[in-house]
Amino acid sequence: MTGFPWLSLIVWAPFVAALTLLAIPSRSGNAVRLVSVVGAGISLAGTIAVALLYDHGSSGVQFREHMDLVPSLGIAYDLGVDGWGVSLLLLTGIIIFAGSWATWTLKDRHKEYYVLLLGLVTGVFGVFASLDLFVFFLYYELAVLPMYLLIGIWGSTKPVEAKGPFAFAYRLLKVGDKEYAAMKLTLMLLLGSAFILAGILTFYWAGGGTTFNMETLAEAKIPPTTQRWLFPCLWLGFGTLAGVFPFHTWSPDGHASAPTATSMLHAGVLMKLGAYGVIRVGMVMLPEGAQDWAAIVGAVAVINVVYGALSAMSQKDLKYIVAYSSVSHMGIVMLGAATLTVDGWNGAIFQMFAHGIMTGLFFALVGLVYEKAHDREVFRMGGFGKIAPGIAVFFTLACLSSLGMPGLSGFVAEFLVFLGAFGEHPVWAVGGILGAWITAVYVLRAVRAIFWGPGPDRERYPHMQDARGPEWVALCFLGACLILFGVFPRLVLDGIDSSTVVHLARVVGENIAQVTP
Amino acid sequence: MIALASAALLLPLASFALLAALPQLRRGGLVAGVVSSAFALVSLTCATLLLLDVAAQPGMETGVAPVLWVRDWLPHAGTSLARLGVRVDGVSAGMTFIVSLVASAVQVYSLGYMAHEGKPSIGRYFAWQSLFLFAMLSLVLAPDLLQAFAGWELVGLCSYLLIGFYYQKPSAAKAAVKAFWVTKFADMGLLAGLVLMRWKLGTWEWDGIEPGPYVAAVALLIFVGAMGKSAQFPLHVWLPDAMEGPTPVSALLHAATMVAAGVYLIVRAFPIFEAAGPALQVLAYVGSLTAFIAACTAVVQDDIKKVLAYSTCSQLGYMVAGLGAGSAMAGYFHLTTHAFFKALLFLAAGAAIHAVHSNSIKDMGGLLRRLPGGAVLFITGALALMGIPGFSGFFSKDLILEVLEEEHLWVPFALCLASAGLTAFYMGRVIFVAYLGKPAHDTGKLHTPWVMAAPMAVLAVLAIFAGLLGPTVAGLVGGEYHFALSPAGIAALVFAFGGLGVAWFLYGGAPRTTFDFLAPVGAFIRSGPMDKLYETGWRSGLLVVAAAAGWWDRYIVDGLMNLTGWAVMEGGQRARRLQTGKAPDYVLVVVVALIVLAAWGLFSTGATAGVVGGAP
Repeated sequence: MTGFPWLSLIVWAPFVAALTLLAIPSRSGNAVRLVSVVGAGISLAGTIAVALLYDHGSSGVQFREHMDLVPSLGIAYDLGVDGWGVSLLLLTGIIIFAGSWATWTLKDRHKEYYVLLLGLVTGVFGVFASLDLFVFFLYYELAVLPMYLLIGIWGSTKPVEAKGPFAFAYRLLKVGDKEYAAMKLTLMLLLGSAFILAGILTFYWAGGGTTFNMETLAEAKIPPTTQRWLFPCLWLGFGTLAGVFPFHTWSPDGHASAPTATSMLHAGVLMKLGAYGVIRVGMVMLPEGAQDWAAIVGAVAVINVVYGALSAMSQKDLKYIVAYSSVSHMGIVMLGAATLTVDGWNGAIFQMFAHGIMTGLFFALVGLVYEKAHDREVFRMGGFGKIAPGIAVFFTLACLSSLGMPGLSGFVAEFLVFLGAFGEHPVWAVGGILGAWITAVYVLRAVRAIFWGPGPDRERYPHMQDARGPEWVALCFLGACLILFGVFPRLVLDGIDSSTVVHLARVVGENIAQVTP
Repeated sequence: MIALASAALLLPLASFALLAALPQLRRGGLVAGVVSSAFALVSLTCATLLLLDVAAQPGMETGVAPVLWVRDWLPHAGTSLARLGVRVDGVSAGMTFIVSLVASAVQVYSLGYMAHEGKPSIGRYFAWQSLFLFAMLSLVLAPDLLQAFAGWELVGLCSYLLIGFYYQKPSAAKAAVKAFWVTKFADMGLLAGLVLMRWKLGTWEWDGIEPGPYVAAVALLIFVGAMGKSAQFPLHVWLPDAMEGPTPVSALLHAATMVAAGVYLIVRAFPIFEAAGPALQVLAYVGSLTAFIAACTAVVQDDIKKVLAYSTCSQLGYMVAGLGAGSAMAGYFHLTTHAFFKALLFLAAGAAIHAVHSNSIKDMGGLLRRLPGGAVLFITGALALMGIPGFSGFFSKDLILEVLEEEHLWVPFALCLASAGLTAFYMGRVIFVAYLGKPAHDTGKLHTPWVMAAPMAVLAVLAIFAGLLGPTVAGLVGGEYHFALSPAGIAALVFAFGGLGVAWFLYGGAPRTTFDFLAPVGAFIRSGPMDKLYETGWRSGLLVVAAAAGWWDRYIVDGLMNLTGWAVMEGGQRARRLQTGKAPDYVLVVVVALIVLAAWGLFSTGATAGVVGGAP
């Protein structure tokens, strides 16, 4: 499709902004912020344009761009999106735009911070837009690596007591330090990437050794015996980034130590990269493998949901509560994927979208509370609603989406997943629904502990106040999105649905009509 | 018709949007209340016109020829999975009227009752009131179970926000969260029912359900949801605590409308319940048990709102029992009359609380002289609740007992009959202690502003005369109703007057506020044994499991990762020692490696066979 290269615009605008930033002196703070916001804004505008221009009637891949890179190896700069890609690009655009506003008040080396953030988001956009596995992987790494610096330099340290049978290891590694969180995150994700790379190379050779193109390789008939071990390779490799139990432990420390916008991107978008990889590269391209392993993927997903929610309930630190909440909600995504049903997959992709926005809002709020209260211990707070009603309202809104309140996007996602989950394994649906209740419990407990009750204790929290000025932008924007897509889910769900039918047909063949109510 | 229904539904939403968006309204104080009440009254007008329209049309009773307007909401492989819209028929039109009437009355009353609150608080209050009315109507007018579920959850949200209105008060905060947790727990059942219904029955529609293997399961799961929302035993524990909210909220949500949503849902989904067969009897038993236990609990309460709360719980049990006997009409009729007289009771109690600045009936007394209007209104509502002939409650209670008797459900019948006596007793107690007799402190006559008196008067009229609307209500639900005094009805009258008589004996004249030898029982009941049970489950159950999960994740799962990291670092440190920097050490490594490789090479190729043993 010739025409305006929307996808390249979306992918490269942040990168160009980052390069521009390198030329701007750090002391012109507002120039730095402006360039960053404009760069993010251009990408956001691009993603909205793509969403509006996407033709739902012909559900295939659109906005294609092609340029050969290494023809002899079959590597090409192949971009294109279908309904799934459109919604995920839109999500990324929303989060980076909100995130760049949420970073407004950062003072320490903010130029470098924005450069790394924008570089990271270039990678994310690239992954969602890629149709070539090599380029896909390249962007994937670009999305993961800046995390190390972002957390290691701008993060926060919080000591963790060395207890348990491995306490000696905790002391050596200095668990709790931001450097530890950064290193653990990077190493675990790179380990996952190693498996992914092995998987991609297997694809290349099993597909004849001529191309890395995803669509071509999806047609290649990879023998089921190969799929049987290739699929778990990709599931666990991508799954590490998606927070699949038990390889999720980089996530709580990573989120908690990371600065605000980094957490927003990380939980909001990065974890979705992993899930997207599992579904798009793992399941769609390896139908027999997906079917063989679906039961295990689903069972692990239910563990994610319930265990993640219970862990969240035990946390006293606000960032850890939200972090474990992400682990739990990513379980919903993987659960939906494992159902191999239309509703399950629609729910999984929509949950990526809905949860991304919600968790972006959460971390923006957490960042504000931490900045103003200088504390993250939830049960010491109280009464903040009196002096920070705006933060209280948006926090409650995010919590409600988290527990699946109809009218907000979280409900649509979770409901579709529960609906899909029931077919093959009713117990999965039960687990998911139970997880939703546990979520309601710990989330409202947090609201009450932070915002309700008498107080606030002005001696302990002298600077606590409501959001001001540019801080409102991220909150209002994300809150509006939560409501908009909760009331009108079809704005993205139609596109997702049309692509789900195409992809799922590849996995379950003719049975697609039978696997749904 | 659709236009009227949509207007009634969307006007409160518009009110909410305006109040939420415009700071002039949000922080404007009573002007927000005026806007909200105005929208509610217009909504009521539409609802009234709608009801008149529906009642006049032949064939509009439930299930025959509903008028539907829906839009696709969720897609599924190109087709529509779920839709949103409105469904107008007898049942929904009737309930729309009831809900908007009580809501309007409560909002107007609140203009007086809440006037002394801070301006932003008033704006917040009326915003949630508007949102609630919208949410409740979206449930009432729902074309299928999915939209009903959406409205159901939103109504629960409004309940949480309004119970927690005085959020700075720890008891209110706790009550709000408890209400949400308990009802959400029950909602798990409803959600499971929703999923099961789609898979096994193929639809979410209210009609056209054939008996089959999964219908009973779906019906019971829906009932589990209703048990939470309508405070049936043992999921009733949130309702008394919900009294922490402002009294008008208690009147609207926790007496007339929201708690009745469970009953309404069962009426709405009655084809499913009818097709469920004997499973329907579960409702009769749960309902009558709730009615009895709650009535017993109301007897020992001194807080007037708690008496009314347990009374509501008990009456909801009645409604459920009536439904369990197979009569949608019985449940729906009592829902109607109860909405009017219970809302009236709460609003009148609000006036009393306002007057003496206390919730306890022991601090009241002689209110008939000090607050004559409010007292008459309260007593009117009480007489209706007790089922005294001439008031609406008499007709609807009577019907429930009749249908229970017809179905030979003797245990539920007995429990409901006993509850009727207890109801008369505890309401009589409140009347004699708080309204008649001598005041605890005499501070002269008090005045009720007209914004508070007028809505109560309207409700009082309905509390008296709504019973005469039996045939109309039956027409809406589908069926016929003729009042006739049956043996069941006579028994009910005997118990009612008996209960009232005992109350007069104990409390009329010389006040004796408790039986001495029942004091330990009263104390036990007031201590909230069910609440203690749940509290234990929370602290020693769920929190402990959560803490274990958190510990396990931090120290075992992550511990293994940290162990790996440690092993690599330590291993690296040990392996470093190979790099001594001394050439002879490296030569040693080379020699050892050569020996090992040679040995492996020889043994693996079988050359040893020739070298060691083997052939010459």
